Amino acid sequence: MPRTKQSNSDLDTDSTKSSIGKARSRRSSLSKGNFTGLGVAQKRSLTGWAFLIPAALLIAIMNFYPMFQAFFLSMKTGKGANLNYAEPLWYNYKRLLDDEIFMMTMRNTFIYLIVQVPIMLFLALILANLLNNKHLRFKAFWRTAIFLPCAVSLVSYSLVFRTLFSTEGFVNDMLRGIGIIDDPINWLGQGSTARIVIIIGLLWRWTGYNMIFYLAALQNIEYSSLEAAKIDGASSTQTFFYVTLPQLKPMILLTAILSTNGTLQLFDESWNLTRGGPAYESMSMSHYLYEVSFQKNPNFGYAAAISYVILILVAILALTQMKVGDKRD
Amino acid sequence: MKPSKKALAIALPVLLALGACGTGDGGGGETSGTGGGGTGGGEASNELTVWTWDPAFNIYAMQEAEKVYQKDHPDFKLNIVETPWDDLQTKLTTLAQSQSYDELPDIFLMQNNAYQKNVANYPELFTDITGSGINFADFPESVTAYSTVDGKNYGVPFDAGTAIGAYRTDLLEEAGLKIDDFTDIDYAKFIELGKQIKDKTGKPLLSGQAGSSDTIMMMLQSAGASLFDDAGKPTITNNDALLKSIDTYKQMVDAGIFLEVNSWDEYVATIVNGDVAGTINGVWIAGTIQTAKDQSGKWNITNLPKLDGVANATNYSANGGSSWGVSSNANVELAQDFLKSTFAGSKELYDTILPASGAVANWIPAGSSDVYKQPQEFFGGQPVFEKVVEFGTKVPKNNTGAYYYEGRDAVSAAITQIIQGADPAGALEEAQKNVEFAMN
Repeated sequence: MPRTKQSNSDLDTDSTKSSIGKARSRRSSLSKGNFTGLGVAQKRSLTGWAFLIPAALLIAIMNFYPMFQAFFLSMKTGKGANLNYAEPLWYNYKRLLDDEIFMMTMRNTFIYLIVQVPIMLFLALILANLLNNKHLRFKAFWRTAIFLPCAVSLVSYSLVFRTLFSTEGFVNDMLRGIGIIDDPINWLGQGSTARIVIIIGLLWRWTGYNMIFYLAALQNIEYSSLEAAKIDGASSTQTFFYVTLPQLKPMILLTAILSTNGTLQLFDESWNLTRGGPAYESMSMSHYLYEVSFQKNPNFGYAAAISYVILILVAILALTQMKVGDKRD
Repeated sequence: MKPSKKALAIALPVLLALGACGTGDGGGGETSGTGGGGTGGGEASNELTVWTWDPAFNIYAMQEAEKVYQKDHPDFKLNIVETPWDDLQTKLTTLAQSQSYDELPDIFLMQNNAYQKNVANYPELFTDITGSGINFADFPESVTAYSTVDGKNYGVPFDAGTAIGAYRTDLLEEAGLKIDDFTDIDYAKFIELGKQIKDKTGKPLLSGQAGSSDTIMMMLQSAGASLFDDAGKPTITNNDALLKSIDTYKQMVDAGIFLEVNSWDEYVATIVNGDVAGTINGVWIAGTIQTAKDQSGKWNITNLPKLDGVANATNYSANGGSSWGVSSNANVELAQDFLKSTFAGSKELYDTILPASGAVANWIPAGSSDVYKQPQEFFGGQPVFEKVVEFGTKVPKNNTGAYYYEGRDAVSAAITQIIQGADPAGALEEAQKNVEFAMN
């Protein structure tokens, strides 16, 4: 077996060599005028660029160009489609500071971020660890079951949550049934509980998604390191905190950045689950942005400014997380 | 072998890229593909493209209008593109913002409450149809006012949002009351009757969405008042009609005769499941009420209670409704003539669409037709639609204002706070501030 393999690979290299040789000779004969003076390395990097250009162009046209346009837009103001540069240029940004509704939506979004993301990531870590147990039965089933919420459309799950948490809904019936509350809670009718419902929804929807990241990262952890900890007499909690966690750090960093990014751009739950209500108390920043653009009198300059504030917040938070989380040096 | 592989290697990414463009275009492509785009100039001179949203209601009405118009113009064709209202508003905004007016249809349907806003922001979207020969005096002034800006007409009214009070006669009877007891009364009397019903049957009289200002807005319009003055300035503070409306609303909620629920579905459920003794809303709510087949014959309608102690208060109001707009990209002559001979001129059309879809005309001449005089079995044999057309003529007009949605939402937020115990004056001042902020 090894012999044949060896000879095979020999053959391969031979044939590739010869074809490279051919290609070289062909190219040099073809492109004497154009490519003279270019070394092999330069030619290679040119090929590399050639492959990169289509994708890079698409990204530049479809992503970067609109982003720059949005930035210019964020400095404009006016009625309808007649937008002109504002005086001063940062007028829209200044206006944001006086906008109580925007401040409220920013507060809401940060509440979601601060409360929901840590709980979710911690839960995901624990679940991933449980599922990584070599002796666990029906592993594939558990994995699928926990990941499944993630495959559900954002709109449909929001609507189901809406029904579950309605005044006469399942959650109130259940809580009353087991005697925790006497009167139904008006979940979506009060700011604080409406936010809790959104947080519960987010946890249900996204924990499995993050768990998959951790499961993948756990596959890369040497089982022997866990065994060694066990032999040294570490309890499973100690193993988790001192052996597993440090090795998962890059992945935790990645999921933290992804979740922060996702939460700051939160839209569907705010839109479908609570409609932002009552009285803007559960509305997210992106939901407000949409309202400003399409539901109220359209103010696209202002909306673009909001989107840039979200971008800046995401960038700052991601940077801090990278600085705090990444100590590889 | 080799060339085909090479071809494949080139073809695949190209195909993928094209495919991606294709799907990315889906939303817009749909319209231009079906002829929605550039129709005004490019399409056959006897075809009109229409954007509208409800297959059982306004799309159906358009199809019937097409048949009516085809009798005199056999070549005429309509191309109706189903576009939900939220999408329609988004599309209009996007097209106007990018100034791609050639993508507009000839005719679109627009919510009455959104008319002022769209005309104020994007006058370029509309054709002024004041001089089209359509007799706007055939519509109630309160209805044409929605789509009239600076004395110019921009829309032909379609369905009426005329408000009705609909009550369960069987529950009223249990409390020893009749529908006449609810006719031409004021809210003080209404609350008294509501308490009586609550005592006898245990059921609230009305229900509605918490944090929705529909009820308040209907009360306001019943006195010809609104959240804006004639110059368009918000008048949320120092607005007697508004204060009185909110006070009345709070009294009803506190007395337990107005049940607040959280969503539209729950509101509908309270009616259909018989949890409430009545409802006050635009006449289109009749369609919802009639889905409760077991309650047939147990409903009656009448006019609304009026605000007490407010100048110009009446027993009539409206909520919602929509109008047909002619776009700036339209085959204007054809579109105007079509609307003039159908929605603003054909009894036959309204006679067809009323029984089948419950679309009550705003067009006053339609109300004299026999079809409107038919007793409705579901409503205990009342000639409901004739009554509604009559109500419609008495609705006071008010000023929706370009910032209607801002005003409405700010007041909604204020109501939420007031019901939870905040001081009305303070909450309304906050609302006024938010609307003023949105306007500058």
